[in-house]
Amino acid sequence: MSDETLPPRDEDDLQAAEYALGVAEDSALDAARDRTRFDAAFAQRVAGWQERFVVMAEGIDPVTPPKKVKRAILSALFPKMRVPLMQRLWVWQGIALAAMALAAYLAAPLLQPAPDTVPRDVYATYMAGDVDDLELIAVVDTTGDIALRRVSGQAPEGRVLQLWAVLPDTAPISLGVLPSDETTRVRLPQALQAQIGVMTLAVSDEPPGGAPGAAPTGAIRAAGAINEL
Amino acid sequence: MTDREEIEDLIARVALKDRAAFEELYDRVSAKLFGVCLRVLNKRAAAEDAMQDTFVKIWNNADRYRANGLSPMTWLITIARNTAIDRLRARKAGHQDVNKPGFELIAPGPSPEDAAVASSEASKLTGCLDELEADRGAAIRGAYLDGMSYADLAGKFDVPLNTMRTWLRRGLIALRECMSA
Repeated sequence: MSDETLPPRDEDDLQAAEYALGVAEDSALDAARDRTRFDAAFAQRVAGWQERFVVMAEGIDPVTPPKKVKRAILSALFPKMRVPLMQRLWVWQGIALAAMALAAYLAAPLLQPAPDTVPRDVYATYMAGDVDDLELIAVVDTTGDIALRRVSGQAPEGRVLQLWAVLPDTAPISLGVLPSDETTRVRLPQALQAQIGVMTLAVSDEPPGGAPGAAPTGAIRAAGAINEL
Repeated sequence: MTDREEIEDLIARVALKDRAAFEELYDRVSAKLFGVCLRVLNKRAAAEDAMQDTFVKIWNNADRYRANGLSPMTWLITIARNTAIDRLRARKAGHQDVNKPGFELIAPGPSPEDAAVASSEASKLTGCLDELEADRGAAIRGAYLDGMSYADLAGKFDVPLNTMRTWLRRGLIALRECMSA
C-alpha cells in the first residue's frame, strides 16, 4: 500500500513531524537532519511540531532526582583538579605550549614569594567557542592584571574583539576592547577582584571602538570560566 | 519576569558559561526533566544517566537556544526526551540518534505571534489526540513517549510497515487540522 500523493507543503510538514517525533529512519532521518541545518522554513516546521508534541509531556509528574545526579553533573562539567600546579597545567590539553610558558612565567613569582608578601592564588581560564576557531588563554596574576594570549583565530573582518567579565546575577561588565596583538594585558577593576573565583570571561565581536552600549551586541565567540590553578 | 522569561534568562547566562545560572536552572527544571526521563526509560538508574547527558548537552548547547525559536521548556524537555529515547534505543543494533532539538536548527524561529498561536494550538493537542481514531492516537503517543519506530509500531498493531506509516501520517494530518480548527 503506497501513500496517496500529497501536496509538497503537506509532504514537507509530514517529514518535519516524523523527524520531530523520532520515527524518521535511515536516509529520511539523515535528509531531515540536513534540512534543519540549511532550510529555515523546514526547521521552523520541525520547531512547530516539537511545540505541539511537547504537550504530551505536560501530563508527566515532576520527580525530584536524587542529589547525587546534580553532583555527578557538576563534577563532570567542572572537575576540581586538586593536583600540583605543574600537573594541572598538563590537564589543559590543546593549549599551545607558548601559552603554557606564559602561565608558568606568570606563576613563577609565586613559587618564590618575597619574604614580606603572602602568595595569592593564580587564576586562569581557557576561552573557546564554536563560532570559529578563536581561542584565548587568560591568566590573572597576583596584582589583578589579566594577561591574555590569543592562541588561535582573530576578529572577523571590520570587527574588534571586546572582553567581558560575567558574574552571577549581573549583566556582563566590559573590560575593554582588545588590541589586535597576540598578547595583551587588561586591568581587572579592584571591585571585581574579590569575585574572581565565580567569574567567567567572554569575548564578543563588536563594531570598531567597541559595543556602543553597556552590553555586548555581537556574537560571543569565546568564553571560559575562571579556575584556580 | 514571567517563568518563561526567567528560564530564558537562565539559559542565556548558561550560554555565557555562568556556573551559578546553570545550577539555578538545574534546581528549577530538573524535577520535570527527571519525570520525563523516568517516563520514557522506566528505570531510575537509566533515567539518572540520561539526566547527566541531558544537562551536559544543555551546558554545551545553551548558546544555540536563542536561534531555534522554541519556548524554553520545550527546548529543555525535548532534549531530555530525545536523550532518554536514544538511551532506550541504544541497545538495538544500527541505532541512529533521533533528532537533537535546536542543536542544528537555523530557523529564525517563529515570531512572538507565531509562538502564541503555536502554544494555543498546542493546548488543543490532548483533545485532538483523543479525537483521532484510537489506534492512530496511540501510535503518536507510542512514538513520542515510548520511542517506538515505525517497525515497532507495525509490530504492536500487527499491520505491514507501509500501512503503519500511512496510518500515522494520516493521524498527523488530522492532528494538525484539528489543532488549527
